[in-house]
Amino acid sequence: MKFLTSIFWLGFSFFLFSYRQPQPEPSNEYKVKAVFLFNFSHYVEWPLDVLPEDDSPFVIGILGKDPFGSYLDETVKNEQVKKHPLVIQRFNRADEITACHILYIIPTDKDEMKGILDRLKSKNILTVSDASNFARLGGMIRLYTEANKTRIRINLSAVKKEELVCSSKLLRLADIVESQTH
Amino acid sequence: MIDALSRLCVQAKRTRYSRSFSGLLIFLLLTLNSELLFSQTMQSLLTPDTLKKLSMEELLNVEVMSVSRRAEKLTEAASAIQVITQDDIRRAGATSIPEALRLATNLHIAQKNSHDWAISARGFNTDLANKLLVLIDGRTVYTPLFSGVFWDRQDYLLADVERIEVISGTGGTLWGANAVNGVINIITKKAYDTQGFYGEAGGGSQLRGSTGIRYGTRLGEKTFLRMYGKYFNRDEAVYPDGEEASDVWWMGQGGFRLDSKSSEKNEFTFQGDYYNGQANLSAGGKSDQQGGNILGRWSHVFSERSEIRLQLYYDKTFFIQDVSESRTEDNSIVLAPAGTLKDNLDTYDLDFQHTLSLGTRHHFVWGLGYRYTHDEVKNAPGLAFIPEVLDRNLFSVFVQDEISVFDNLSFTVGTKVEHNDYTGFEYEPSMRLQWNLTSKQLLWTAVSRAVRMPSRIDRHIRIPTPGFAPIVENLLIGGANFRSETLIAYELGHRIQFGTKVTSSFSTFYNIYDRIRSTSQSPADQYGLTFPFFYENNLEGETYGFEWRLTYQVADWWRINGGYTLLRDDIRIKSGKEDFNQALNETADPRHRFSVRSFINLTKNFEVYGGLRFVDSFKYNNGGVPGTVPKYSELDLKLAWLPKKNLEVSVTGQNLLNAQHSEYVISSPNPREDVERSFYVKMAFQL
Repeated sequence: MKFLTSIFWLGFSFFLFSYRQPQPEPSNEYKVKAVFLFNFSHYVEWPLDVLPEDDSPFVIGILGKDPFGSYLDETVKNEQVKKHPLVIQRFNRADEITACHILYIIPTDKDEMKGILDRLKSKNILTVSDASNFARLGGMIRLYTEANKTRIRINLSAVKKEELVCSSKLLRLADIVESQTH
Repeated sequence: MIDALSRLCVQAKRTRYSRSFSGLLIFLLLTLNSELLFSQTMQSLLTPDTLKKLSMEELLNVEVMSVSRRAEKLTEAASAIQVITQDDIRRAGATSIPEALRLATNLHIAQKNSHDWAISARGFNTDLANKLLVLIDGRTVYTPLFSGVFWDRQDYLLADVERIEVISGTGGTLWGANAVNGVINIITKKAYDTQGFYGEAGGGSQLRGSTGIRYGTRLGEKTFLRMYGKYFNRDEAVYPDGEEASDVWWMGQGGFRLDSKSSEKNEFTFQGDYYNGQANLSAGGKSDQQGGNILGRWSHVFSERSEIRLQLYYDKTFFIQDVSESRTEDNSIVLAPAGTLKDNLDTYDLDFQHTLSLGTRHHFVWGLGYRYTHDEVKNAPGLAFIPEVLDRNLFSVFVQDEISVFDNLSFTVGTKVEHNDYTGFEYEPSMRLQWNLTSKQLLWTAVSRAVRMPSRIDRHIRIPTPGFAPIVENLLIGGANFRSETLIAYELGHRIQFGTKVTSSFSTFYNIYDRIRSTSQSPADQYGLTFPFFYENNLEGETYGFEWRLTYQVADWWRINGGYTLLRDDIRIKSGKEDFNQALNETADPRHRFSVRSFINLTKNFEVYGGLRFVDSFKYNNGGVPGTVPKYSELDLKLAWLPKKNLEVSVTGQNLLNAQHSEYVISSPNPREDVERSFYVKMAFQL
């Protein structure tokens, strides 16, 4: 029992010294999505000219109200994509976006989403969102939650149109869909 | 497995004259208790570094919303855990749970005959081996007859198994008094992951015929159900001379699982299984087993930082086994006539667990458990348990706190306290330190205590000799004062990831055991006989060694993993005490084990698997006559053709290097049985 008593004391003193107020954090759903955004930077190939200089940053952008808090920043901290440092940029409007490689778009209504996607054309940006019908509206990757787990849906023709190449590993894990034709 | 009981009985009798009693007394270990969630699952543990270590497949499987979130990876980190995934099981062509368990390099798995396996981690893999706790979806599967697992009645439709976690090392603090040397946690998929119709059928030289179906459907918006059934029959094992051992085996099992998420905060699971099987015994006669279980579980999330889980199950298992007549070695006297042993066990188990984060640094898990078992044995003339009917209660409470001392250093401390009807209170404290040297490198160390509570065999067994009474009434009886065996375990582990492709995991241990089971003789009677023998706790000793596992993603299409395990032991008689078996009966363990497995996607539609294993020779002293199992190497190969995403046609060869090889010795009354080279073909589809 002496052994037990001593470990309880040990535990208790840790408790006294280490109690702190909780920090607000994103939900698990967005933590997993943040890490997926990071993973996409390794499982998708961009045309060589989108990163002209050796030290050009690889940009993951967020368009709209940021649900990730500082979690996405922590995720990419000290990480690189083919020697390019990874950075996070936050945008309020689509026309603010110049250099960006992966863009997470906060869901908005269908027409606005179409407008955003139109404006991003020919910029070789991998578009990601969890908006319903995102992939069918012409977005590239819908990252959404179903049955408590994260799912990936890829619009392969939209990806190809922007000269991006998804690795087979990523494609294996995803549902492949096509844009709706109008 | 129960064969071992009858062997024991027969040996006991014949050795009365031959004096080669050294084998008789095996029986180890422990029992009880289940803590489903080894994991702390706290949201704040899902750090970027942790999630980045997961493969994309694993990341897709992280439960993101709420109930029973379990970030397995996290807890894996600070212990010697290995996870066998559904993908591994399918690709390796495993046809039974023991075959799937071969994929974990930290277990020693030895097939004894067509239907029995010896499975253990870190040693003590004796005939009724069992210093291991095994759970299927949170339900403890063990027999309180000897605290071991009847592997021939633990089954599932393997396609619906999500993963198997294999932890070598003690887990007593969370899991309780069975978890001395390791924990095996078999987790089936949730019903919403098994929707639609699935069917498989196959057959071959050893697995003669096998079929399984499952149908999963959606009952409501968030309520899903699956039902399944399976059946197989297997060919005999062979004796060393190639003669068939006449121990064919068949088994059928069916069941259901319902998962409902009535709201974001509540999740219910309701599941049940029924099985029925029969094995012929090479010693003559047969063994019938049937049983079933029903389990309900409710999880409720109060907040991101607090959730509870309540689980209740009922399990019934029944067997009837022929126990053959036994005679003295010169055949002159029938010691006990043939008969049957029956056992009917009912288990009721209630388990509550609360996980709670306080501040950013404290992650508590605490819980309460109660188990009631009602065991009714119908004794055979030559193998008995006294009393025949026995009710047992087990109460348990545990608390554990994982404290984040620094961002990269956490300290876990906790204990379990149990009260059982044999020995009263038992304590299983542990301390664990986890230090993330970098985001890709982890060092951990732990000190834990575990106990193996007495089982019925330790206290209540009788090997009666009615044919020799009243001179000798019993050859062996349980020890009335048999106490719990204890372990203090010291562990040190290191895990490192090189780039994104190579992971190395190393764990070493030094285990100090005390009060291990021994066999004492009674004072000599007027004829100089020292029967009955009886159990005591006169052994002590150490085991030590290490487990090393490497995984290497060579390319997108090629993955390799391999492992090496070293195990040494020194078990001895405590000074001034006696053991009739000279401390030889509690171990049957190879010193070296090695395996390497390769998973290749040959083309988009073809998969190839190869698995090579080497098991060192080991001495076996449990069978009445000591023996040695020679070292062996074996190879499994599987070629699968997947013409469509939902169709697989495969051919699998198992144990290809030798026409037959032995993995275990049971030297009497029958010769040992060997495992044969075998093939089977299989087709599986999902609609």
